[in-house]
Amino acid sequence: MTTIFLVDDHELFLSGVRAELSERFDVCGWSTDVDGAVDGIRKLRPGVVLVDVHMPGGGGLSVVTNVLQTNPDIRFLALSVSDAPEDVIAMIRAGARGYVTKSIEPDALADAIERIAAGDAVFSPKLAGFVLDAFSDTVPVEADPELDRLTPREREVLRQIARGYAYKQVANRLSISVKTVETHVSAVLRKLQLSNRHELARWATERRIV
Amino acid sequence: MIIEDTPSQDASTERFHVFGGRLTRSTHDRIVAGLAGGIAARLGIPTVFVRAAFATLTLAGGFGIICYLAGWLTVPDETQYGSLIVADHPPTTPQQVGLSLGFLALLVLLDGVGLWFGPMVWPAALFIFGAALVWERASTESRDRMSRFAKPAGRGATRSRSQIIAGVTLMVVGLVVVLASLDSFQSLGPVAVAILVTAAGFMLLFGPWMLGLFQDLTDERRARIRSEERADMAAHLHDSVLQTLALIQRSDDPQRMTTLARAQERDLRTWLFDPVGTTNSSTVGEAFSSAAAKVETGFDVPVEVVVVGDRPLDEATEPLVASAAEAIANAAEHSGAKIVSVYVECSEDAVEAWITDQGSGFDPGEVSEQRKGISQSIIARMSRAGGEARVVSQPGEGTEIHLRSESQ
Repeated sequence: MTTIFLVDDHELFLSGVRAELSERFDVCGWSTDVDGAVDGIRKLRPGVVLVDVHMPGGGGLSVVTNVLQTNPDIRFLALSVSDAPEDVIAMIRAGARGYVTKSIEPDALADAIERIAAGDAVFSPKLAGFVLDAFSDTVPVEADPELDRLTPREREVLRQIARGYAYKQVANRLSISVKTVETHVSAVLRKLQLSNRHELARWATERRIV
Repeated sequence: MIIEDTPSQDASTERFHVFGGRLTRSTHDRIVAGLAGGIAARLGIPTVFVRAAFATLTLAGGFGIICYLAGWLTVPDETQYGSLIVADHPPTTPQQVGLSLGFLALLVLLDGVGLWFGPMVWPAALFIFGAALVWERASTESRDRMSRFAKPAGRGATRSRSQIIAGVTLMVVGLVVVLASLDSFQSLGPVAVAILVTAAGFMLLFGPWMLGLFQDLTDERRARIRSEERADMAAHLHDSVLQTLALIQRSDDPQRMTTLARAQERDLRTWLFDPVGTTNSSTVGEAFSSAAAKVETGFDVPVEVVVVGDRPLDEATEPLVASAAEAIANAAEHSGAKIVSVYVECSEDAVEAWITDQGSGFDPGEVSEQRKGISQSIIARMSRAGGEARVVSQPGEGTEIHLRSESQ
């Protein structure tokens, strides 16, 4: 059973999620603040960490950054009420492997956790939209085609996700396997984390999040 | 010469580390380069004494100016290191005595070295520090006056009065000795001297008080602006959030609660993050968001809108938005889906929208008159505007409506 660790400063939300997930996962720990979370995650080494974006003391961003410095193998799923692009992009750039909003259905959340635990990436429709927006067709000057551009297939997969389809439906509609969809999404995640595209940099600097 | 005890001060007069931390030039407490402010912050004593020390040293053959310039060149600006604000800790009495003796020793040393000039430096030093003492005490008093309700004046008040008297005495003694030693002043005539002395004394005694008055006025204005903002915020929260919370408490339908919460969330977001208030949509993205909002409140079904790229709303794009709004409402009303997904893509040559639901679906070949009408009106509207609409649906498989309009 996958062990998960929850980080959220809202006790009510925390206990709600804990109750929802305790049947399918082993909730090995939780924390309501940044320092407690970093210590707990380092000690317990959970399979997946669900981390809230907005918290006092640096927020989810500093949890992800601090833990990944010492334990680069920990996998994070960002969970937030915010849909703001700067929050989404910042969390992914810091190393989170997925981002979902708190209004997500319990089953969809559980699926997302399984996916993250298996090493894949989880893109909500909103996140897919942001990536398509940031990696728009305009080719940046001095682009690194490996990192700064999406392949047509990756673009198509993201479009389907942005239209609200689950990975399985995307696979059906594009006549490819679910595994291939996962590979594409993971590739996009990597580009998103490593690309130097000026759109991403601009988002980052305008909102002072780097 | 240095005050034994600094009374607790208003939070706005930030004090820094004592006898520790890095020496920097102050950015907020500066007259020339902030060096005196920085030294005072580091030592934990009022800046006015450091300034007095520099002024006195300047009389000693310009030594103070040289010191100041050297400090300006070597001491970094505060902003380079950030300012670590620590609790207010004035130096202990032994430290104060040590500081005073050290400064006194420096003066004697300079005198011995021969940098000294004239017999008037010692009385001038007395005068400068006496004035500094009065100035510091008086300005502290006017600051304390603001917080008098929190801390009624007691022993501290009598002490500060005695300190003022001591300061004025020092000043007068210094001034008398200076004037007595200057032949040129005697030739100025007693009236001019009297006026000068009176004016200087007046400025020293009442200057801080007038400054304090000005400060009070600014503070008051700032507080008023803040309270107006708070009232504004309270009014808005009352009209929106509290009303919605009341509605949610009275509702026993989870779906309805969710919709209310979502609508309120969107409203609050717009208010918080979009202060200009875009009630009239001016771009395609905004138009889609408001269309989705209308459907969410009307049909109690959440609508998720993802927009890639954006462009101004004009004659070419309006029909597409109107058709999409109808398609969204249609999906929310008839499909029975838990959520309606809307994806809009604006590119150089076209605007496209996909309205997707994973509900009951239908056979586009044989549908009820009502639904046929709606899908026809969508298709007809799009073709009139030179665009196209495609409906893909199967019973049990959900529905996808694709709208596309080329840019002219």
